[in-house]
Formats: sequence, structure tokens, C-alpha cells
Amino acid sequence: MILPYSPFLCVITDEAFCPVTLAEEALKGGAAMIQLRHKDASGSQLFNWAVEIRKRCRKYKALFIINDRVDIAMASRSDGVHLGQLDMPADAARKLLGKSRIIGISASSPAEALIAEKNGADYIGFGHIYPTSSKEKGFLPIGPESLREAASLVSLPLIAIGGINVENAASLIDLGASGVAVISAVSRDKEPASAAHELVRAIQNRNV
Amino acid sequence: MYHEIIRKAPLPRISLISGGMDDEREILLQQLKRLPRSVPCMVQIREKHLHSKQLLLLARKAVELNLSGNTLLLINERVDIALSAGLHGVHLPENACPPDKLRAFAPEMLFGCSVHSPASALSASAAGADYLLFGPVFDTPSKRRYGPPQGPDKLGELCRTTSLPVFAIGGITPENANLCLAEGAYGIAALSIFRDNPETAETLDNFYRLLYP
Repeated sequence: MILPYSPFLCVITDEAFCPVTLAEEALKGGAAMIQLRHKDASGSQLFNWAVEIRKRCRKYKALFIINDRVDIAMASRSDGVHLGQLDMPADAARKLLGKSRIIGISASSPAEALIAEKNGADYIGFGHIYPTSSKEKGFLPIGPESLREAASLVSLPLIAIGGINVENAASLIDLGASGVAVISAVSRDKEPASAAHELVRAIQNRNV
Repeated sequence: MYHEIIRKAPLPRISLISGGMDDEREILLQQLKRLPRSVPCMVQIREKHLHSKQLLLLARKAVELNLSGNTLLLINERVDIALSAGLHGVHLPENACPPDKLRAFAPEMLFGCSVHSPASALSASAAGADYLLFGPVFDTPSKRRYGPPQGPDKLGELCRTTSLPVFAIGGITPENANLCLAEGAYGIAALSIFRDNPETAETLDNFYRLLYP
């Protein structure tokens, strides 16, 4: 499994909205990757959502990954998982998922990005770059300069995350990110599909 | 893994469930070490407050204890962690992903399902559950907020709708366990025995004598 062509948009589901509807809208708008993230949902609920989102991702030729739950990713035959620093370690997940599925790891410093690369990640979710309301964070934003440093240290694709919007998205690609990941910039927009489309346009039509 | 074991020995009739008690003192591991080696039992690791990484670490430590061959180690819901740590089985809450979807990539795993009604027992059975867990049969403080206990009659009704082994849970004591067996239960399950630190071994022995006459 390979990542989408750079630069691409990854949309992460928002616990306040139906993830299937949101994924559908994001895909319509041109998102190339969807991550199902819902910490409080039951296993059967996650599985049912995953099956529905996977179908839609296949239709749009987008990647579909699941946050934390390797079990649900395997049961729903998703394309991979995204693992935070408190989730299952990448080596254990790799043994279960094999080489054909994608493992992404969250990193919040260039040092963590290097470790993630060493542990066999396929991509690194790097952030949060800017202040964000989407997740409860125990640390300050790491800023775009940190992204530039990480990009110079690791060869893995970096997906920038945290406080990304249509104004700042392109600059992060210029700093070395392969893609950007958003939650609220799409989910909280009145028209999620067009919000996704605007983001895709911003990162793909840069003045370079 | 389970199927390999079951060929040698039947499913234990005692199921112990850990509950939010593991902390830095690793009480779960201490309790596991205290299990009488002669008593066949299943132990379900159920530590919902732990992150996946901590849960995997705990499961691996439990496996490393090299418990007696009479003890089966299970984990609540997370088949990925069971596979990674080399546990014997997974216990699925009623709202978990159904066992047939998980067995597809964990063919040797023992799968048990919590059920609260005959309808739920039928669907768990159709999805390939190896055993069922039904309750609360008797009054138990931890389940009071869900309403009154189901009672032994409901347990009997459920046991008659399935050929799978049914474990009764909820306020089970050596004194009332016979009522459950009379209704067709295969075994008993409890959180409290495991938590009741000093008397664990004694209570287990009492259950053992009752369940393995």
C-alpha cells in the first residue's frame, strides 16, 4: 500500500458528527485519505462505520485508516492504522498487519519523528503545528519551523496536523510536509465538501 | 491456541475478571501469582482505563508469569493485544465487533461473548462464540445502576436457548452458585473474588469443590 501522491489532504473524523457522512463529504471534496478516530465508540459501532467508510474510500480511490484500533482495522480490512504515542507500538502492530498495510505514527518533535521512522512507520503525523481546539493537548504547538527540521531529518512522508486551515496549509507543504491532516477545518464548516476542496486546491496550486 | 488447549482439557468453569485495579503496584500480576495452581480458571484482563500501549505491556507481563496450564488468559475486547501478547482468548462485550469478523484473522483464539438476553445469545452463537457470559444473575453493587438483577430464572431461560457453555455473573457466591448450576450454567464468573485480596485462594477453593465435584 502506498500513500497518495503528494501533496494530499487527510481528513480525520470528528466525534461530534457522523463519521460516515463526514468521510463521504471529505472524499467528494478531494481528500485522499480518511482517518476514523472515535475514542468513545463501541467496537461494533467502530466496525460498522469502518466498513461503510472503507467502501466509500474504495470508490474514490482514497486510503482509509483507523486510529489506535488495530483489531478493528483488521476486522474491517482497512488500509492501515494511525498510532499515537500511547497506542500499540509500531513493531507489534506491524507483526499483525504485515507489510502491505499502512502504519502512521504521531510525533510531536523531530526526535520523535526519527524514532517513528526507526520503528518502521510508513508515515508520520507531525504536530500539532498550530493551536488547535480539536484535541485536548498537553503541550504547546510545536510551530512550522519544527516541521522543517523534521523534514530534513527523516525520509518518511510527514503529514502536518494541528490548526491547519486554507490560509496556512500551502506553507506547510513548502516546508516539507507531504500532506496535511485536518479535523475541524472540514467537519465544522457549513459545507464540509467545499471546505475539503478549498484545502486541496490550496496545497496543490501553490506558487512555487 | 484455544483449540490446541481444549483438546487437552475442557474449558475452565471459573472465570475471573480484573477490574480497573492495575496501577503501579501491578495488583493484577500479584493476584495472578496467588492463583491456586490446581484450580482451572480463565482470567480476563479488563482494565478499561489503560491505553493500548500499557495494556499490551500488562498482557505481556501476565504471559511471562508462566502460570499453570490450568489458567487461561483472556483480555477484554482487544484481539490485537491478545495476538500480540500471545493470550489464549478474548472476551467480547455485547457491543463489541462480532467474533466471526475477528476469527477471520485470529483462528485459534478463544472468543467469549457477554449476553443479556436470549436474542443476544442466539446472535453470539451464530457469530461463532465459544462461550457466553450472562448476568447480572444476583444483586451486585457495580451493576445496580442498570436496574434489578436478571435472576436465576432468566439464566435458565438463556441456558435452554443455547448449547454453548454459559457462565453466570453478578453476585455469585459459593452459597448461591448451585442455583446457577441447577439452571444449566456451565460455570461462574466474578470480579469480586479477584479483588478480594486476602481471601481469593480460599474462595476459589470453595468454588472449585462445588464446580468440580
